[in-house]
Amino acid sequence: MKKYYLFLSLIALLISSCEKDDFCIEPITPNMIVRFYNATNISDTKAVNDLTINISNLDSIYTNVSLDSVVIPLDVTNNQIIYNFSSGSNLDILTIDYEIEEVFVSRSCGFKAIFNNVTITSDVSNDWIIGLTETLENTITIPTINDESAAHVQIFH
Amino acid sequence: MFKFFIKTCFLVVFVSTSAQQRNDSIPSDSIVYKTNYGLRLGIDISKPIRSLLQDYNSGLEIVGDYRISKKWYAAAELGNEKFTSNEDFTNSTSKGSYIKIGLNYNSYNNWLDMNNEIFIGFRYGFATFEQTLNSYQINTSNPLLPAQINTTPSTENGLTAHWSELLVGFRAEIYTNIFISFSGSYKIMVSITDPVNFKTHYAPGFNRVYTSNTGFGFNYTISYLIPFRKK
Repeated sequence: MKKYYLFLSLIALLISSCEKDDFCIEPITPNMIVRFYNATNISDTKAVNDLTINISNLDSIYTNVSLDSVVIPLDVTNNQIIYNFSSGSNLDILTIDYEIEEVFVSRSCGFKAIFNNVTITSDVSNDWIIGLTETLENTITIPTINDESAAHVQIFH
Repeated sequence: MFKFFIKTCFLVVFVSTSAQQRNDSIPSDSIVYKTNYGLRLGIDISKPIRSLLQDYNSGLEIVGDYRISKKWYAAAELGNEKFTSNEDFTNSTSKGSYIKIGLNYNSYNNWLDMNNEIFIGFRYGFATFEQTLNSYQINTSNPLLPAQINTTPSTENGLTAHWSELLVGFRAEIYTNIFISFSGSYKIMVSITDPVNFKTHYAPGFNRVYTSNTGFGFNYTISYLIPFRKK
């Protein structure tokens, strides 16, 4: 009987060693969350009509939607990404500059990138975006984007 | 076969009760079969076999034990390993040496002078190694802006691991003084150093370091017993 238990425990060891114990469940590279506010009443969110967001030469991320917040990715192979934000036929260009920091997460998730000293600049034409700060300036710097728990950028229009 | 009987010794115990009356004393003959005590040395042959598989680079392990009593053996393993962990987003290679020291307890009652074992054992393990991050890709989950694969290797030297190990195994004497053995082990990490901004995925001797800092291993060894004495 003793032998039997030993044999069973050995088999149990062999089987359990084959289990994959890791699935990537931790948060990985964060996207930038943008929230749209009313420029005349800065504490209120305001949805953008006919919103289209794309990067030059790439597929659109959003096409003709009406939303008050969007999630856009940043490019981990570059220190800059330029987004075209259009509401109907009005186009504004957002230039985002940042530093990339690589952070190890886990075996299954590998490395993620977090973004430091993120500077967002809206083009001065102000076609529909009026400002990025509560004082309606065209540029803002965020110390870091390291998670997706809250909006990172406010756009007033 | 005759030699076999010569080598065995007979102990006969007479029990006498009184001088006046002689009872029929039953000679309870207990024959003691002697087995070899000595140093047993061998190698783990699972490592060269696994080297033929893709997931394993190379390894050599020398195993040894010394019988200290009827049931107990002092045991040690000494090895060197190189292993590449190929994960979804990283590829890293661990390379280094290890030693394991401990005891085996044979729970099997042998017939006659047979010398087989079903053993359980305990080991303390120590490894010193390096880990190289060969390549990695930042995990972005974004098909629109894929990350590039970084193939600049970076090596961290001087990593160490300490662990404890429980093992269960079988050992059989296939020819005189030649043994084969199979054992499986469960390892619990006591302390391990990780590379800066990375993690040790594989420690030599410990094998893959699971999320809970545990590990599994198996050994298939062939060894030769250098007999010192019979007892």
